[in-house]
Amino acid sequence: MRFVAYITSLGLLLSLTRQTYAQGSIDGFMRGQRKASLAIFGSQETYDTYYINTTETKNPNLGTVTTQAVTVVGTYGLGYDLDLIVSAPYVRTQASAGYFPKQEGFQDLTGTLRWEAYDYKFGKTKLSWEFAVGYSMPMQHYVNDAMVAIGRGSQNLDGRTLLHFKAPNFFITGQYGYIRRGQVKLDHIVNTYDPSQINPNSGTKVNVPDVTELIIRAGFVSKVVNIDVWGQRQTPHSDGTNIGPGIPFPTNAVGFTRVGATAYLRLLKQFGLTAGYNTTLDGRNIGKSTQINAGLVIGHWTANN
Amino acid sequence: MKTRSLLVVLSTFLLWMISCKEPIIDEGVLPFIVPTSVDADGGTWRTIILKSAADITVPQPVAVTSDAYKKEFSDVKNGVLAATPEQNTAVNYWAAGGTIRWNQIARQLVAKYNLAPGYDYATGQTTSADAGNPYAGPPFAARVYALLSVAQYDALVVAWRAKYQYNRPSLEQQGVVARIPILDVPSYPSEDAAIAEASCQLLAYLFPNELNWLKAKATEHKQSRLWAGGNVPSDIKAGEDLGATLVAKVIDRAKSDRFSAALDQTNSWQTTLAKAPYDQKWKSTELPERAPILPLAGKVKTWYDSTAIVRAAPAVPPATTSATFQKALSEVRDIASSRTRDQWSIASYWDNGPGTYSLSGLWNFLVEDLSRQEGQNELRTARTYALLNRAMQDATTASWQTMYTYFVPRPSQIDPTIKTSTAIPNTPGYVADRAAVSTAAATVLAYLFPDEATRLNAQATEAAISGLYSGTQFRFDTEEGAKLGSTIGQLAITGAKADGAK
Repeated sequence: MRFVAYITSLGLLLSLTRQTYAQGSIDGFMRGQRKASLAIFGSQETYDTYYINTTETKNPNLGTVTTQAVTVVGTYGLGYDLDLIVSAPYVRTQASAGYFPKQEGFQDLTGTLRWEAYDYKFGKTKLSWEFAVGYSMPMQHYVNDAMVAIGRGSQNLDGRTLLHFKAPNFFITGQYGYIRRGQVKLDHIVNTYDPSQINPNSGTKVNVPDVTELIIRAGFVSKVVNIDVWGQRQTPHSDGTNIGPGIPFPTNAVGFTRVGATAYLRLLKQFGLTAGYNTTLDGRNIGKSTQINAGLVIGHWTANN
Repeated sequence: MKTRSLLVVLSTFLLWMISCKEPIIDEGVLPFIVPTSVDADGGTWRTIILKSAADITVPQPVAVTSDAYKKEFSDVKNGVLAATPEQNTAVNYWAAGGTIRWNQIARQLVAKYNLAPGYDYATGQTTSADAGNPYAGPPFAARVYALLSVAQYDALVVAWRAKYQYNRPSLEQQGVVARIPILDVPSYPSEDAAIAEASCQLLAYLFPNELNWLKAKATEHKQSRLWAGGNVPSDIKAGEDLGATLVAKVIDRAKSDRFSAALDQTNSWQTTLAKAPYDQKWKSTELPERAPILPLAGKVKTWYDSTAIVRAAPAVPPATTSATFQKALSEVRDIASSRTRDQWSIASYWDNGPGTYSLSGLWNFLVEDLSRQEGQNELRTARTYALLNRAMQDATTASWQTMYTYFVPRPSQIDPTIKTSTAIPNTPGYVADRAAVSTAAATVLAYLFPDEATRLNAQATEAAISGLYSGTQFRFDTEEGAKLGSTIGQLAITGAKADGAK
C-alpha cells in the first residue's frame, strides 16, 4: 500500500457524484392514465471523508467536497399500467481545499418506463408487481476523469422489478435492479499498471463497472402529509478498480449503503412541498456523503394516488 | 442464403451473449507486419555502448549439414504443427516484435512503480523508495526507456553482424512453413533471444523485485520462436549469450551515470534552493509539503554531447516583479478561470502523472504505430527507440537541471486562486519538462518519419502548451522547454545521420 495522500485524494470525486435523484425516481406508486406531475428539487451533498476501496480516508488537499444540484423530474401516465418518468439534473461540484477546479453543467438525462404487470387487491390493501426499464446518457461532454467531476459520463441501462404493498395509510416497496454501464472514453490513453493485462495498449476506452441495487422504502401516507424512510444498497457487480494514483475514476468499483427519509406536505390540490435527508453508512470508492434536498411538486405527489 | 441468415441470427445471439459480460478492452488482434527491408548492413551500424559490434564475439555455429543441426531442425519443423493453443497465443503475442513488447513491459513496470515516496495520509506513515522498490518518476522512467532501447539496439547490431558473417540460412529457406511472417535474415543468432535476454536482465537490474516475472516473460519469448518455426535452439542459445554479454556492459554504464544520487537522501537541494538566483523560491503546494521529485536527476550523465546541452541551458526567467512575469501570470489565471473542454482534454492527455507510464512512456506508445506503419524490422525499430529515448532522457535531465537551478514557483503558488485541471507536479516549474521532452521526441521522430513530420510537430506543440492549459505552467516555462528540447532533438539527429543506417 504505497498510497500517496495527495494523489489518492485525487481520486474520488467522480465516483462520488451519484445520480442525483436516483433513489427517488422510481417508486412503487403508479401515476395513473394521462396524469402528470412535475417536480423541481434542489439538493446539496457534502463529504470530507471518502473510501479507498472500503477504507475511510480524508485528504487535506481536497477538504470538503460540496455538490449542489437542481433536478427536474416529470412523470406522465401513458396508460393505467404504464408510466414514463424523465429526469434531468444540473450539477455543480467543488472542493474547499487544494487546486481542483469547480465543475458544473448538465449531468445525465434519464428516461424510464414503468409497467405495472400485476395487481392484487385485498379489501382496502393492494399488492402490485412492477417492472421498470430506464436509460440514461450524459447531456453534454463533461469531464469524466478528474478529481472533481459531475459524473461518470457513461450511458446506462437500468432494469428493475418492484413489489409494492399499499394499505390505506401505509406502504412498503421493495425493488431490485441491475444497472448496466457502458464504456466511456477518457481524455487520455489508459496507461496504468494492471497485473492481469500485460498488454497496455487499450487506448482511451474503459469499462465502467455494472452495479446491482436493492432499495426498500416504507412510509405513512395521508391526504396531506406523507413521510417515508428508505434504505439503498448498491453493489458493484463486475470487477472494478480502487481509487489510486493514475487509476481512471470511471473504472472504480463503486458501492454504498445509504439511508434516508422523505417528507411531503400538500399545500393546495395540485401543489406541494417536499424535503429529504440521507446519509451514507458505508461505501466503496465513494464519498461518505450526506445530502439534504427540498423541492416543489406540481400535480399529484405519487403516494397520494 | 439460408446459411447467411442463420449466421446473422447466430452472431446476433453470440453478440448478445457477449454483451452480458463486461467486454475486455485490449489492443485487438494486431495484423502481422512484414518488414519492408532486412537491413543487411545492420552489423556495421554504429553501436552506442560498445565501440563497435565486433566487441562481442559470437561463436561460429555448427554447420547446417551436421547431425546436431539436422536433429534441431527436424524437432522444430515437427514441433510447429504440434503447437498448443497457449503456445500459439505466445507466438502471436511476440510476433508483434520483441523490441515493442519489451518496451510495453517496461512501461507497465514504470506505471507500477511511479508512486512518489512520501507522506501517506491513510496510514500516517512516510513511505520511502529503496533499491528494490524504486520510485519511477519522470527522470527514472526516461532512463528506463533509454537504457532498455540502447541495450536492445546494441544487441541487435551485434546479432546482425554475426548473422551475415555466418549466414546460416533461415528456416523458411530450408522449407519450414512458419506460423508467422519471419524476417528473411540468416537465423543465427536469434535476434529475439538477444532482445529477450538483454531486456530481461536490464529490467531486472532496474526493478529487482520483478526478476521472476521478467524471467518467465523472457523464457516465453525465446520459446515462442521455436514454436513459431523461426529458430532452432542453437540460434536461441547464441542470441541469449550475446544478449547477456552485452547487457552487462549497459548495466555498467547505468551504475556510473550518477542516477543513484538523484533521490538526494541528504536533502542537499535545500542548500541549492537557498542560493537559487530567482526572487521568489519554489515550494511544494501539497498539504503537507513534500520534498520535490528526484532533485538531483539533473546531474545524470547525458547520452548526447553534454557540452552542447549545457550551452543550451535556459537563462533565468523574468523576475516575479516584472511586467513580463505579471502578464504571464494573468494569462494562466485567465485560462484557468475559463478553461474550455478542449483545453481540459489536451491537458489531461499530456499529463501522464503518478501511476502512469510517464510522458516519455506515452511517446514510446505513440511510436509503435509509426514503426509498424513503416514496416520496420527489429533492428530498425530498436534504432528508432534508441534515438528517441536517449533524446527524451537528455531532455528530462536538462529540464531537471534547470528546475533545480532556478527553483521557479508554479503559478498556483503565486496566486492560489489558480485552479489546475491536473495535479500540480511536485517540482519547480521552469522549464516545462513536458515541453522539452515532447519537442525533443517530435524532432527526432520527424527526422525518422518525415511523412509524419507535420502531425508530430503539432503533437509536440500541443504537449508543450498543455501545461499552460492545465494551469500548472507559465507560457515562458513551455517556450523555453521547447527550445531546449529542440536543441537536444537536433543533437540526436546529428547522431542518427552518422550512425551508418540509411
